[in-house]
Amino acid sequence: MLYLLLCAAASVLRMLAAYVLSVLLALVFGVAMARSRSVERFLLPILDILQSIPILGFFPAALAFFVTVLPAGIGVEAAAVFLIITSQLWNLIFGVYSSVKSLDPMLFDMSKVYRMGRATVFFYLCVPASRNSLVANSLISWAGGWFFLTSSEIITMGAAEHRLLGLGTFIMEAFERGDSYGFYLGVASLLTVILATYILVWNPAGETILERELISLRPVYSTIESSVGSLWSTLGNLMIKAEARIRLPSFAGKAIVIAVLTSIAYFLVGGLKQLPSFDIESVYGSLLEVAYELPLSLARVSTIVAFSVFLSLAATYASYARKGIMLVVLLVGEVLASIPAVVWWPLLASIALGSPLGPYMVATVVMLQGSLWYLYFNLIVYGLAGLRKDLEEMSRVYRIRGLWYLRSVFIPSLLPSLASGALSAWGGAWNSTVAAEYVSFGERVIDIGGVGAVLNRKAAKGDALGVAMSALLLSLVITVFNKALWKRFFEFIERRYGGGE
Amino acid sequence: MSPVLSLVNVTKSYKQDGRSIQVLNGISLEIGEEFIAMLGPSGCGKTTLLRIIAGLEKPDSGRVDIPENAKVGFVFQFPTLLPWMTILDNVALPLKAQGMGWGEARERARKYLSLTGLQAFEDFYPREMSGGMKQRVNLARALAVEPMILLMDEPFSNLDPLTAESLRSEILDLWTLGVTTVRSIIMVTHSVDEAILMADKLVILTPRPAKIAGVIEVRIPRPRDRRSAEFQKLEDRVYELIAA
Ligand SMILES: Nc1ncnc2c1ncn2[C@@H]1O[C@H](COP(=O)(O)OP(=O)(O)O)[C@@H](O)[C@H]1O
Ligand SMILES: [Mg+2]
Repeated sequence: MLYLLLCAAASVLRMLAAYVLSVLLALVFGVAMARSRSVERFLLPILDILQSIPILGFFPAALAFFVTVLPAGIGVEAAAVFLIITSQLWNLIFGVYSSVKSLDPMLFDMSKVYRMGRATVFFYLCVPASRNSLVANSLISWAGGWFFLTSSEIITMGAAEHRLLGLGTFIMEAFERGDSYGFYLGVASLLTVILATYILVWNPAGETILERELISLRPVYSTIESSVGSLWSTLGNLMIKAEARIRLPSFAGKAIVIAVLTSIAYFLVGGLKQLPSFDIESVYGSLLEVAYELPLSLARVSTIVAFSVFLSLAATYASYARKGIMLVVLLVGEVLASIPAVVWWPLLASIALGSPLGPYMVATVVMLQGSLWYLYFNLIVYGLAGLRKDLEEMSRVYRIRGLWYLRSVFIPSLLPSLASGALSAWGGAWNSTVAAEYVSFGERVIDIGGVGAVLNRKAAKGDALGVAMSALLLSLVITVFNKALWKRFFEFIERRYGGGE
Repeated sequence: MSPVLSLVNVTKSYKQDGRSIQVLNGISLEIGEEFIAMLGPSGCGKTTLLRIIAGLEKPDSGRVDIPENAKVGFVFQFPTLLPWMTILDNVALPLKAQGMGWGEARERARKYLSLTGLQAFEDFYPREMSGGMKQRVNLARALAVEPMILLMDEPFSNLDPLTAESLRSEILDLWTLGVTTVRSIIMVTHSVDEAILMADKLVILTPRPAKIAGVIEVRIPRPRDRRSAEFQKLEDRVYELIAA
């Protein structure tokens, strides 16, 4: 029992560390991208690719960099935190970036006229401007972190396996032992922890900052808010004082950026040297394998996204019609979206192993969990807020109701946020193929093919280079799809349904 | 009397769709301790000129001579307030950014908020205030940095006529009483009436690319009466100059 508590505490702390780092990174990179053309041009394409690399694709980097470079205990821990960050950082960065980018440019003129330094602009303009999107995205990112928790607590690459103290490990070990009591106990405590973090922290944050009603309890949040707030403003004031005292030469900013980039490059090269030697044959091999299995995953992902669009629209309409439904569905969604992908398999083991179709059913559930909620959260947080009161009133006056209302007012109003939700859902579905298409229960291996399965097979063989190459190729393909298909779709939606009259 | 500010042959053009559009065509002007109104048709380059004086943009050629360490206050066309800060903090932020502590900065901000008649509203957020009140905050913020030069870009163009009129007379009072640190005001406007009512000197610009079409001193004693014969006569002269 004490051990279970310890595991829960370890997982929560790990999540917290990753989350805090993610927010800080998101602020720094998001603001830098929005404020500097050259940083934007450099980082935007890189982020596009990074965000579509499934978590397994980061394993080689995590192992090569953290585990080998840092001392043993810290290294694995750092690798786990790094992996969690890779599953929650990207939407936070994009959120900050677009918030700052859409700020009234006159505000920046104002800051220049009154000679506000970088620190003042960062702490008093950019960060407050990003607050809403940070909170809205945190609701999703926090779930994303849990979803891949198990994958970050058990890092395996062939024979090398690192297990960390934590709930994810606890649950998987209980399952492998065949200890069903321990397994369900672990899952139950996981659910409790997730539920608690939402009710005590995220939902109150959403209520206060986004001004939406959510199921929540306040007291804990109030304490957190005031202490984080005062910590943050102390930090801000210190930085501003420092900046007013020490007038850095103008090239200092550039020098710092260059220094950071070179040191990252240095470590990356150092890490790459640890990998087995670059074998062009095997690279070709893995590229072929990915290309061969890609259509299967593509079909699955597309189906899942289409299904998610349908489900989330239905759920959104139900939530819109009855607020009570929304509150419950949101909370259920927050918890379901957080249940680690790998836990679904043992949880639904009887289905998975019961019939030949079993694995496909469980895979569908896992992929749905990895994509549906992006859509639903987007629709609820941004979509319903964008539903225009005047159009609602117009429909009431002219008695436009039922299906007619859905088709002519409700769905068109939601389309812009439906589109951006669908883009995240599509990314999420790709990422979840890693957990949906392949799983191993001790001796038994379920492998239903697809790119996610390819990555797993390579990881199981310990072919780190193969994993890295396949992940990179996969993410390139996804990026091309995003640019070629989604971008046009977005532009169409924005032209047709976005904005005002 | 040596000028507070002088512009020497300032030119500026913008690139748009590959073509270069000249906006300012050699502006030279000496500004002393006086209230200048800069008049010109919409789109002629008035805002651009103010932005160059404020250091927001660099001229393509020519110079802007301002005494070293001279502070500049800017009343923007729109209030440009930070929605997440109270108006007190909005006014205090520029002071804070220059290294003042919050306590001192707020103290000074309070002084200027009361000068603009807002002392009772310091804890309000911008969204809780009317357009006229927000524009007053904009003014208080500009005065609070204790500037030598005050720039105003069509400060009344987005207010209803009554609010605009009362803000005009308040600014005039502050100017004639000399209770602020401001020694020169440059106000951009496209209202001839407003310019004659307020300024010591009118600088009239041509349509784009802007040159100085003429400079007219306003020698009517304050408070000025719009219906007086000399006011009307001057107004006619200005319109003639603009039409030319
Ligand atoms: N950043 C810019 N880029 C391109 N053209 C600009 C820019 N700023 C102003 N202009 C152009 O310069 C001209 C003068 O603008 P402005 O100074 O704002 O005029 P106004 O006298 O109305 O204040 C306008 O034709 C405008 O389109
Ligand atoms: Mg203008």
